Amino acid sequence: MKTLEDLKNFYDTTLLADLKVLEKERRKVVFKLTCIIVTILCVLGVCLLLWMGNLNAIPAVLIIPAVLCIVIGVTLCSFLTRGYVIKFKSLVIQRIVHFIDENLKYEAHDCIERSTFMLSKIFTTKPNRYKGDDLVWGKIGATDIKFSEIHAEHVSGSGKNRRRYTVFKGLFFIGDFNKDFTAQIVVLPDTAEKLFGHFGQKLQSLNILRGQLVKLEDPEFEKNFAVYGNDQIQARYILSTSLMERIVEFKKKTGRTIYMSFVGSMVFMAVSYTRKLFEPRIFQTLLDFNPVREYFEDLRLAIGIVDDLNLNTRIWSKQ
Amino acid sequence: MWIVIAFCAVVVFVIVFFYNSLIARKNQVANVFGTIDALLKKRYDLLPKLISTVKAYMAHEKSLLTEITEMRSKAVSGRLSDDEQVELDNKVSKVLGGIMVAVENYPDLKANQNFLQLQRTMNEIEEQISAARRAYNAAVTAYNNAVEMFPTNFVASMMGYKLKKVFEISREQREDVDAEKLFKS
Repeated sequence: MKTLEDLKNFYDTTLLADLKVLEKERRKVVFKLTCIIVTILCVLGVCLLLWMGNLNAIPAVLIIPAVLCIVIGVTLCSFLTRGYVIKFKSLVIQRIVHFIDENLKYEAHDCIERSTFMLSKIFTTKPNRYKGDDLVWGKIGATDIKFSEIHAEHVSGSGKNRRRYTVFKGLFFIGDFNKDFTAQIVVLPDTAEKLFGHFGQKLQSLNILRGQLVKLEDPEFEKNFAVYGNDQIQARYILSTSLMERIVEFKKKTGRTIYMSFVGSMVFMAVSYTRKLFEPRIFQTLLDFNPVREYFEDLRLAIGIVDDLNLNTRIWSKQ
Repeated sequence: MWIVIAFCAVVVFVIVFFYNSLIARKNQVANVFGTIDALLKKRYDLLPKLISTVKAYMAHEKSLLTEITEMRSKAVSGRLSDDEQVELDNKVSKVLGGIMVAVENYPDLKANQNFLQLQRTMNEIEEQISAARRAYNAAVTAYNNAVEMFPTNFVASMMGYKLKKVFEISREQREDVDAEKLFKS
């Protein structure tokens, strides 16, 4: 796996020259965006002044041009930034992906399908708003992987009763697991046991939506995760003692909320993020190493799951 | 009068609940033990194939191969008690581990596709056995807790339930198969 030092070399020798060209484009976009925003503010200001000068004027006469101006302005802004984002992703994100492993493929506007997301069985709420981007797929050693950013929401009700619930936001990873199995095992963050101890464990066992609670021997793992499944033995076959340690280490390393599942001889992992991933910061210079380092670290975290979970160890029947 | 009836009903309900939960735990132990048995049988079925594949190559480990063949015959004879069976299974695991390590000295054997496939299947069965033992221990712990803890211990003693032994897993068994060690060239 590539290190930060390798990335710095790659940044200085290869990426920087192209970033300088893109930086010029970014400045042009920022200038155009600023012009649009200033124009919108001016129109709104004029409308406000006219209304204040003649409070008896019909508000609609002033509101219509103001709203029109905002709509046109926002459309223009999104059009301008979209072109820039496409160039940014193919120039920066795609190249970092290939820098980490040249066999991986990248598609900026694609994501893990909703059906696959649901197949993981990690989330029981079915999202009715589902979007994502930055799909990466390919083979790392003997392991097929696929991951993308996902934002899944469930919106219910309408008007004042409209409720928006985030099912998941972050990085969603699928990998070919190194053992064959038929069971469905879900590994969830353990909140009940952390809060209520032994009583929490009792509460977990009552979770009928999830199947049987699987109590494992690793106390550190048990403190962090609750495991549910439909087969006690296969759950232990999948979650070997070393894999449990590796999952705990991975959680510590990322410091994030992690959900996992093992379904159809595949491993699914959902790593929660509150920020958007792999997106350009239009109002910040591109000639700064820190954002590039952040993209690299997010990608390395996902691609590194193969090593972190030791998925390339193929000593069992499945090859 | 109604209070007494209600009290009796609650007591009966609680006893039935404890009784059923103890039965469920006992059955869970028996169920997992049955799975271990099935997996061990699978391992014993695979042993002759493994032995016939490796014996042509492993000239210096004849005694190990003879030993494991004898152990297999003993194990499948069905004349052993549960404790003897467990002890023998552990011995087989140990000798089998020894054979797998000795494979390192035979590059031709390590390159044999038939052997590699057998080795993979054997690794899989060993890991499944280990998982089943862990599941057995978890089931026995839950059963033993119910037999010892208040208030289920009263019902357990009425039913004549005794504590069960957990599998003692040796350090070597607890460690995962070292892939690099097995496949290093």
